[in-house]
Amino acid sequence: MRVSLIRIGALVRKEFLHLFRDPRALAIVVLLPIMALILFAWAISFDVSNVKTVVWDADQTPASRAYTQQYSAGGFFDVVGGVDSEEALNEAFERDLARVALVIPAGFQRVQDSGGRAPVQVLVDGSEPTSARMGEAFALALNQRHNAVSYATWVSVTPGAASSADLTTGTITPQVRTWYNPERVSSAFLIPGLIVVIIFIVTVQQTAVTIVRERDQHTAEQMLISPLRHAELVIGKLLPWTVLSLGIITAITVLGMWLFALPLRGSVPLLIVASLAFVFASLAIGVIISTVTTSQETANITALMLTATPSFLLSGFAFPLDAMPTVLQVIARLFPTPEMMTISRAVFLKGAGFADVAVSLALLVGYAVLAVVVAVQLYARKARR
Amino acid sequence: MRLRRIRLLIWKEFKQLSRDPMYARLILAMPIMQLFLLGYAIGVDVTNMPTAIVDLDRSPISRNVDASFEATEFFTVVARPESETELRPLMDRGEVSIAIVIPAGTAASLQRGETADIGLIVDGADSQTASVGIAHASRIVAGLNTMPSDGPGVDAQLRVVYNQSLRAVNTMIPGLIAIVMSIAILAIMSQAVVKEREHGTLEQMFVTPITKGEYLTGKIVPYTIIAVVQGTIAAVLGTLWFQVPFNGSMTVLVVGLGLFLLTNVGIGLLVSLISRTTHQALQAMMFIILPMMLLSGFMFPTDSMPEAIQPFTKLMPMTHVLIVLRGVFVKGAGFEALASPLLWLLGFAVVLLGAAIVLMRRRMTE
Repeated sequence: MRVSLIRIGALVRKEFLHLFRDPRALAIVVLLPIMALILFAWAISFDVSNVKTVVWDADQTPASRAYTQQYSAGGFFDVVGGVDSEEALNEAFERDLARVALVIPAGFQRVQDSGGRAPVQVLVDGSEPTSARMGEAFALALNQRHNAVSYATWVSVTPGAASSADLTTGTITPQVRTWYNPERVSSAFLIPGLIVVIIFIVTVQQTAVTIVRERDQHTAEQMLISPLRHAELVIGKLLPWTVLSLGIITAITVLGMWLFALPLRGSVPLLIVASLAFVFASLAIGVIISTVTTSQETANITALMLTATPSFLLSGFAFPLDAMPTVLQVIARLFPTPEMMTISRAVFLKGAGFADVAVSLALLVGYAVLAVVVAVQLYARKARR
Repeated sequence: MRLRRIRLLIWKEFKQLSRDPMYARLILAMPIMQLFLLGYAIGVDVTNMPTAIVDLDRSPISRNVDASFEATEFFTVVARPESETELRPLMDRGEVSIAIVIPAGTAASLQRGETADIGLIVDGADSQTASVGIAHASRIVAGLNTMPSDGPGVDAQLRVVYNQSLRAVNTMIPGLIAIVMSIAILAIMSQAVVKEREHGTLEQMFVTPITKGEYLTGKIVPYTIIAVVQGTIAAVLGTLWFQVPFNGSMTVLVVGLGLFLLTNVGIGLLVSLISRTTHQALQAMMFIILPMMLLSGFMFPTDSMPEAIQPFTKLMPMTHVLIVLRGVFVKGAGFEALASPLLWLLGFAVVLLGAAIVLMRRRMTE
């Protein structure tokens, strides 16, 4: 017996009818990706900036003010205010009003004027480890630049100073260039990853629920006595959502390019092929969930567990996979998201073609085929019982 | 309000939950699984970034650069391409995520007393690693400047207050307790009423002598108990397994989490009352969970978000409970320091739970 297109077509039509009968659920499916796109692209940034900083300037001289000024200038530190006592400083930290504090003791200018080295203290709040580490790094870099400049000035005005210190007077400064995303616009490199996460969240749930719902409402038996074969049923369940998901991917891409100047540098056919494989793989996972769960609620919760948090965190979207423990990297590979993440970023940002991501693409397609086969097998076994 | 009826209702809910053994197991397994996944996924600190050094100068200076980058835990030099052209494919394939380019003539211009630029190339496609990488690399490059032993200058002394080890898990796990608790309550609570409506058992409830208040209490209490159990599992396991120090007061923690719990019960109940099918309720949940995770400062610091988004972050109950949890765990903060977030949470709990109760009463008189 062969797979019949007519039967699949009928099922696809039925699924679409279901979809449009519940316009609220459909609206959420369409609105969720758009909301996520706007939220991410606009609000979220991996860059740490505007770190709230308070200054305790006990010196109150032109020199101390100039030094403080350098903190406001960079964009990393956001000087939100001054404090004048240790208590006030502690309170600012405790109330979460500051993450960094700069303490300039009295005598700052006097010590430097007499050619000495004035101590300052930089306190960073370790409860936000990322901004603390970066705060440390930037504070040190800032201080070193300051010293290099004041040393150069000192040498030029003090006769005989250069000979006393056997040093070159030139300074090295870092010049940062960012490849693939030169303006370091977070949104540009978030959107390709976001597409993957969103599609995964939306799709897995759908197939997981539609099949269990048929069982809950006892229409599954009716399907079984129809001439529909198991493989046809699974494919018929997957197709409508494949169409919808590709629509969502297109919508996000177009919106991203239009609103957030998302570049699409690579091969579009590659993106389409990879998306198809990815969507099929995700939907098949949904079918697998539906066959192993006992009720609609269990299917719902399982889908939620498998998509909402792990896909977000184990896909390489926000947290680099390489840095995770091996066990977690293995678990991550159980989902199709990491491969799709690689392909999506490569196509959008790096201008990749088929040859560049051949391995990832092969893995993804293999995953999709395997997932669909397993889904059909599991479904058939479940139906026979 | 009759206690006996409420007790019967609670007993009924638990009976229903235990009828599907898979569901009951999932509810208990969920916080544990999420805790471990998230704990290990988020707890990682960026180290050993694959680094390339493109040395076009071949001078003592460049050897110095090389050694300084090798010396830190943040960078591992994996490649030494001859030119930027050779660097390109390495970055394309993601084998290298940061590169240091020492232009020809660097040593010479330093000798002449000029400013020399050292290029730092970062892979902009690679999430937050890029920004952390820039910070560390800038610091190393700035440190290369031969520091004068005499002459005026400033000595910056750095000190970390709270969480001196800068371990990421120490702040992540407290936040995770709130996330795990919230997702669990929302997932179960949002199904509570709509499930009965879908199965048609809600009408059956109305023909019994059970009053609205009793029904409501009978719904809220069992799920709250489950949420408390889940939250406790997450808190105890997380603190012990990941060895997170607890510096604050238990009372503040319990008050904060209690208010947060009531807030979530309110949200879940509202979703359950508004949705017509369990499927809708679940999708609405995603709609709530997503911004909650993103805008609360759990993963991305709220300070770095644009000005226009700031008010929205305040509208997320999660934002405030995170401040409370991190304050208690890491900073050992008390009621006084945490008054403002606690008041916010109290407000959320009153408004959301109140709205849910009002809506529930209206729904039931329909």
